[in-house]
This record gives sequence, structure tokens and C-alpha cells, in this order.
Amino acid sequence: MKDFGLYIHIPFCSKKCDYCDFVSFSLDENAQKSYLEALCREIDLVKDKYKAITFSTIFIGGGTPSIVFDGFFKALTKKLYSCFKFSKKLEFTIEANPHSLTEDKLKEYLSCGVNRISLGVQSLDEQVLDTIHRTQSPKDVYHAFRLFKKLNISNVNADIIVGLPNQSYASISRTANYLKSRVQHISVYGLQLEEGTPLYRRVKSHELRLPDDDMVADFFQKTAKILKRTGFNQYEISNFAKPGYDCRHNQLYWDGSNYLGIGVAAHSYVDGTRFCNTSNFNEYINSLNGGTLPIKDSETLTPAQKREECIMLSLRTSKGLSLKEFSANFNENLLLSKKEQIERLIKLKKLEIKNGYLKINEGNQYLSNAIILELL
Amino acid sequence: MTRQEKIRNFCIVAHIDHGKSTLADRLMEATNTVAKRDMEEQLLDSMDIERERGITIKLTPATMKYQYNGEEYTLNLIDTPGHVDFSYEVSRSLAACEGAILVVDASQGVQAQTLANVYLALDANLEIVPVINKIDLPSADIEGTKKEIEDVIGIPCDEACEISAKTGLNITSVLDAVVKNMPCPKGEEDAPLKALIFDSYYDSYKGAVSMVRIFDGGVKVGDEILFMQTQKSFVVTEVGIFTPQPTPTENLKAGEVGYIAASIKNVSDTKVGDTITLKSNPVKKPLDGYKEATSVVFCGIYPLDGDKYQELNDALEKLKLNDASLHFTKETSLALGHGFRCGFLGLLHMEIITERLEREFNLEIITTAPSVEYKIWDNKNREYDVKNPSEMPPMASITKMEEPIVKMEIITPKEYLGGIMDLCSDRRGVYHDMQYIDANRTRLIYTMPLNEIVYDFFDKIKSLSKGYASMDYELAGYQESNLVKLDILLNGEICDALSLIVHKDKAYPRGRALCEKLKTVIPRHLFEIPIQAVIGGKVIARETISAMRKDVLAKCYGGDVTRKRKLLEKQKEGKKRMRRLGSVDLPSEAFVTILKLDD
Repeated sequence: MKDFGLYIHIPFCSKKCDYCDFVSFSLDENAQKSYLEALCREIDLVKDKYKAITFSTIFIGGGTPSIVFDGFFKALTKKLYSCFKFSKKLEFTIEANPHSLTEDKLKEYLSCGVNRISLGVQSLDEQVLDTIHRTQSPKDVYHAFRLFKKLNISNVNADIIVGLPNQSYASISRTANYLKSRVQHISVYGLQLEEGTPLYRRVKSHELRLPDDDMVADFFQKTAKILKRTGFNQYEISNFAKPGYDCRHNQLYWDGSNYLGIGVAAHSYVDGTRFCNTSNFNEYINSLNGGTLPIKDSETLTPAQKREECIMLSLRTSKGLSLKEFSANFNENLLLSKKEQIERLIKLKKLEIKNGYLKINEGNQYLSNAIILELL
Repeated sequence: MTRQEKIRNFCIVAHIDHGKSTLADRLMEATNTVAKRDMEEQLLDSMDIERERGITIKLTPATMKYQYNGEEYTLNLIDTPGHVDFSYEVSRSLAACEGAILVVDASQGVQAQTLANVYLALDANLEIVPVINKIDLPSADIEGTKKEIEDVIGIPCDEACEISAKTGLNITSVLDAVVKNMPCPKGEEDAPLKALIFDSYYDSYKGAVSMVRIFDGGVKVGDEILFMQTQKSFVVTEVGIFTPQPTPTENLKAGEVGYIAASIKNVSDTKVGDTITLKSNPVKKPLDGYKEATSVVFCGIYPLDGDKYQELNDALEKLKLNDASLHFTKETSLALGHGFRCGFLGLLHMEIITERLEREFNLEIITTAPSVEYKIWDNKNREYDVKNPSEMPPMASITKMEEPIVKMEIITPKEYLGGIMDLCSDRRGVYHDMQYIDANRTRLIYTMPLNEIVYDFFDKIKSLSKGYASMDYELAGYQESNLVKLDILLNGEICDALSLIVHKDKAYPRGRALCEKLKTVIPRHLFEIPIQAVIGGKVIARETISAMRKDVLAKCYGGDVTRKRKLLEKQKEGKKRMRRLGSVDLPSEAFVTILKLDD
């Protein structure tokens, strides 16, 4: 039985980072209170539909979940546990910002059942952090790790970003080398310049310069090399884990499993339909106060879209695409339908076939789009 | 006074921008042909492209009524196309007139096209009425302009009209001069019908309509007319005059200008320059000066999206309905798939057609580099007319090659003379003559190969002279030449759509420039791509596009897979817009770069 995940979005930040275009709103305790109420209303509205489901993962993401008022998660998880069923081997992750993380907060999380912390490190280079107006300093990260040790927290992910302005090989390897012995999981994201963000404007106005694609690719390879040498597996393009620490919630996204998203702008995928909530905070609150689910977009995938997603998502993973499953699901032998392209990509050492799986060759994950496009 | 004594048939000749269309508008206003409130700027230029560029491509005549000394005169204004590409059409329009108004901008003086057009008018024995325009401009030099017209063209200017077409100043003096100074038509009313077609257009209800000047005789509805070149006959369904809208009349008589419709399906049956007569009572001899419209510049036109081939075919058919000088035949390219090899009267004509395909038919097209028609002989003494590099026989078998040349006339302020002469000699021009028009301006005569001006010669002349120099050219036959076919190899495979025929001396720099430019427009691929310029198997230039390093969507937004899929789909769309040659995806810009090489 495949996993079924639960995602909860916490849309608050004390300050938005320059590169971020996630939905988030500034800190205001009243807003947080009404948001918590709205989350509970949403849970009430959907609980009957999912009463037969046993959720195996919870992921609380943001925004910055670690900045909401003390007691927020106690109330929220109480609601969750009373309305949904969860697996005994629940993976429960919460995202945290090093700057706002305190011992009390961590204790609250643990008492709620949280067993995995995802820390937004991004970089340990002070200058790089300053440039993107990130609130934390490297000291906050060191402090967070002291707390993890003290509280015996031993399932930690660190998010890091490559491709930030002013980043250098030295700062990349310093960050990776510090983290490699302290965490069990690292997500390495390439900076995506999103329109409408302050960083976008600063780059377009030539105030800042981003490293070019070749350099970002080098940064990424460098990081990957450091991590792999230390025993991390790259189980997905951006995700590295020590054996046994692959993020199960993360994998839901790649293997076509179901997940339910609760909260403003949260995305869900249930039985072949992708849907998401409104990203307008007031609309979200008002809709739920009026007893209506705040679903904005909903799309039931056509077989062609499912096929596309399967190729696009499974090739991101190190496991690759199961040719047998693909043929069973889509009645298409990919090796025949894309014979020419696959042969060419194998010849170019971009793809390989191993034990019935088609996968991107090690070291070429950073070209995944170009490779996937050939197979769509 | 007889009927014909109260008719004047005339045209306006001018350099581009000297105010021809504005003057035509004012004349129509002054004669109440068109009410002022209905006036659209430059009424006679009816196509959008014409209005935007301020040039005339398709002709629209106008019949005006004007009172002079108590008599009502009929003034037929026949507009002439304002560009060298259409010089044959110009010559037929002039042949339909007895007089011409010569408009010269008082702030710019005589320019290359002024001369070219006025010589055509003099060749056609027209009475020239000089008009000095834009006298309201602070920079106007009325006396200097008159002197120039007298010195350079040899037309007396003491009675020249001094006007401002823009403000309407002294417009009636032009109408008076037309009546007073231009001769009236002297046709034989009772002779067999003799009518000159000076243009034609397609009307979805009336079929192909001929614009005509009646020289002798007359024509009315029901007459069976004969086109003397095509030897085809039709029964007239409608005759009329242009007011300037086509307005039916009972008949058309000697000396008049109007139109004849006869349910003709195809404009190629109404050829410009042909003579129309009556089938039952034909003239013995057609009018002189008929020529077949011949294509001078050729290029391949392909749909960007291969599925749109049929749409492109239909669009070209429709354009051809109205433009008998457009030629096209099917061709197939390895790189571009199915498309058409099209022939044009010149570069402007080519540009107009491609723009109309895009604007009026909403087609996205790829055009290949323009080519001229080469004559090539092989060792078996076979002659080839090569309009497309792919038609070139193997180099080893070629014994003789010829390329078309033009007589080029450039008028430039003298400070730009050096730069322009350098450009001409760089373009293999042969210097013939240089004359001083006035203390400041010079007229240069060169012969040069047509293939040296089909790329960017106009733009170059304009930028070298900050826009002050003007140019004009006419075809001047063929000359022997040493040409080579330059091929481009991408990742080892020939891209036929990028092949060029160039002079041997130009092959190296052009090959280098092409490779460098292609390197900047072809995106990086999953593998390294060598770009090579090759002549007959020998590589003369090479660039390399290194393999792509990064193309990834590196973050999943809290399970927002839809966004990822949409991004990929967009990328896939972008890829579909490229042309795949072997293993290389070529964006359509690659084909444009070949036209815009800075050498």
C-alpha cells in the first residue's frame, strides 16, 4: 500500500527573503489565531472524506512554521490526531528557521510527535546571507545544532541553495562540509529567479549578478561530491540522504502517491486529481468561516498528463522509471515509442537502463529537463 | 472645346518622403473629390504597410473635376509606385499620362529617386510641371532647389509652383499649372479600341479588374474584349472611373482613365502593360513597351510550424490573386521541410510579401537568405538557372558562371562620400562616374553585382550617411563571375537552408561571420556542436557550442507538480518551434541571422 501524505502550510514569515515567491504573510498574532481556526475548520470539512485513510507522513512547511506563537502546533496536532488516522511509523517533519528556533519550541514539536526537523540553512556564508536579506546568521545555525544534540534529535534535514549572488566554491564547500556530519538529509536547491521577487528586480537592474549556469552546475557537482563521499545517496535530483533517511513525504511527490494539503495555497493530489487552495489569505479565512472549502484550481489529469508526469517525476529519482509499471499503466512500451531518443541519450551517456528501470546517468541530474523533454 | 481637350492625365513623381502622397491628398481635397472630413492621411496608399512606410506599392488612380476659366476639366491622377522594385509598373503608369508633376522637397533637393523617376517621365515624353514642396520648413532652400532642378535635370523652373502640401499652401496653383501646361489626350474616338493596362487588382465580386487608360476608341458593358498578349477574350461586365472609389459609368472613351471588369478569374490574365482591344474590331498592333514581370530576388518561405504548409499555400495563392508579379513553386528542404521558393521584383517586394503573410494571414514563417538568379554552365555545356544554392551543380563540373549586375546610382552629401565609396568597392562595385549636383552633394554611378545588395546594402548606405544618402538601381544584365557554394555543417550535417552562393573572395569572411553568429543563436544541447563553414568539402571556418550543463527544475513547491508540468510543457512548446536538423535544434532566428551579418 502506497503512502498517503498530509501537508500543512504555515504562511507566516517575519521577513520575506529576497529570492522567495512562496505565499507568506508578516507576523501578526491575531492573524495567526484566525489562521489556526481556519485550519481546524478545513480539517473538519474534509475529515469525513479521508476517514478511511491512514496517513503515513505529515509535513509542516512554510513560510516559517517556527515563528508562530507557542502552543500553535499543540492545538493543531491535537486537532489532526482527533480527526485523521496516522500510521504507527509516521514521519512527521516540521520546517524551521535557525533564527527563530528555541529550545522551548523544539520541545513543543517533540511533544506533538514531530520526529524530523528540516532546517532552512541556505548558506553558512555571512556575506551571501546578507546579500539576500536572510534574517539568520551562521551563528543561529550552530546554535540550532547544539539544541538538536541536547534534545537528541537525530533526523534532521538542511536546505541549502546553490547559485546565490556572491557564492563561491569556498563558501559552498564550507557549508557542505559543516553539514555533512551533522545532518542525515540535505536538500540542495538551485536558485530559481522568480519574477516579482526583490532578487529578480535587483538582478534585472544589474545591482546583483548571479553565477552563470555553468558555475551553478559546478557548485552543485561540488556539493554532490562532498556529500556522496560522506555516505549520502542522491535519491532525487535535489535530495541527498544517509541510508535509511530518505524523506518519505518527499518521495510521495515523485512516485505519484496521494497527498492532501491543508492551508492557504496548499496543493493536493488525490486519486488522479490535482487541486490547490486559494493563495489569498483573507479569501482562505473568509471561505472557511462561511463553511466552504477554499479550493481554487482543480484538474483531473488526462491519461496523457499522467503519462507526462510519470516520466517527469520518476526520472528525477535515482531509482528511475519502471518500464514494466509504465507499460502496465499507459499501455506503451517506452523503449519502442521513444526508441530513437532513448538510444541517442544512452549513446550520449545521459540515460541508462538497469534492472528494468530507465534512469538518468549519475552526474547528469542537472540536465534532467533537457533529457526529460526528449521523452515526453 | 472638344471632350478630350478638357481632360488631363498626369502622375506625380518624387523621391520617397518628398510629399507625393500628401500632395495627392490635397489635390483631392481642393477639387472636392473627397470631403475633408473623410480624408484619411495619404488616401491613395491603401495598404497598412504602405501607410506605415510612407511608400506606395499598389496604385489607386483618382478622377477629379476642376473649374478653370469657367470650364470644367477632368483631371486623372495616376499614382506611381514609389520604389525601384516596381519600376516597370512605374513606366506603364507614366505611359498612361501626358504630364507629370515633379515634386522636390525644398529642404532636401534632388535625390536619387527623383532623378530615376524624372528620367523615366522624360523618356515617356511627359510634360513636367515642377513643384517645390515643404517651403514652410525653416530649412527650405527654394531658390537652391530650383537651380538644382534646372542644372541637374534641365527643366526650367521660373514658373515652378511653390507649395506646402502639409499646410495646403498654393495647392490650386498646381491644379492651374496642370490644366495650363500639360497637353490633353489626342486619341481617335472612332478608331478601334486601344487601352493600356497600367495595373490590375482582384475584387471578390468582379474578378480581376484592369485599370486602364483608353488611347483610342471606346468600351462599354457587353463588349467582347481581347487581351492582346494573352490572346484571351472576355465580355465586359462593368466599366467605370475612380472617384477614387470604383464608380460605374456607361462607357469609357478615348483619353479617359478608368477600369474594366469582365468576370476574369485570374489577375495573371490582366497583365500590366498589355493592350485591350475589341475582339470584333481589333487594332492591328498593340501598344509598345510590354514586358513580362520577371523575378529578380528569390527566397525560400517555410511555415514555422510544419503543419501550416497548406495554410501558407492558400495565403500565397490569395496574395497572387492581387499581385501577378509574385511567383512561387513548391520546394523541400531537409532542414525546413515543405515550403516554397518565391520570386520577387526586388527586396522591398519580398519584404512586403513576407510581412503580409505574417500580418494578414497570421502565419509564422521562416525565410531563407535571398538569392539572385545565376547562370551556370557545366562541362557538358548545359545551362542552369540557379535560384537556390541547392540547385548548383558540383563545383568540379562548372565551366562558366554569370551573375546579375545592376547600375547603381547614389546621391550623397560629400562628407559621406569616402565611406560610401569604400562600401561600394567592398561590395565588388565598379566605379563609373561621379558628378557634383551642387557644392555639397555628389552623384555616384557604379555597376555592382545584385547579390551584394540583396543583404543589407540599403541599411548600410543609410547608416553610413546618417540617412542623408539616397540610392536607386536598375538591372544591367549579367557578367562572368567566380562563385562558390558555401555550406554550413552543424554537428557534421549540412543544413541546406543555410547554404549560400557567394563570390569566392567573400567566402572566407562570410563563412567566419556566419559561424560566429550561429554560435550565439543556437542554444546549447546535451552534446557539443561543431559549426563549420565548408566549401566543396573544405572547412574554412569553425566554431563550437559547448554542451549544456544545467537545465533543471530544482525545487518542488510543496507538491505543486502542476507548475512543474506546465513549465516543462512550455519548454516543450518552445522546442516545437525549432527546426530539428539531424540532432540539432535550430531556432528560427538562425535563418534570420544569415540576413543580418555585420561583415
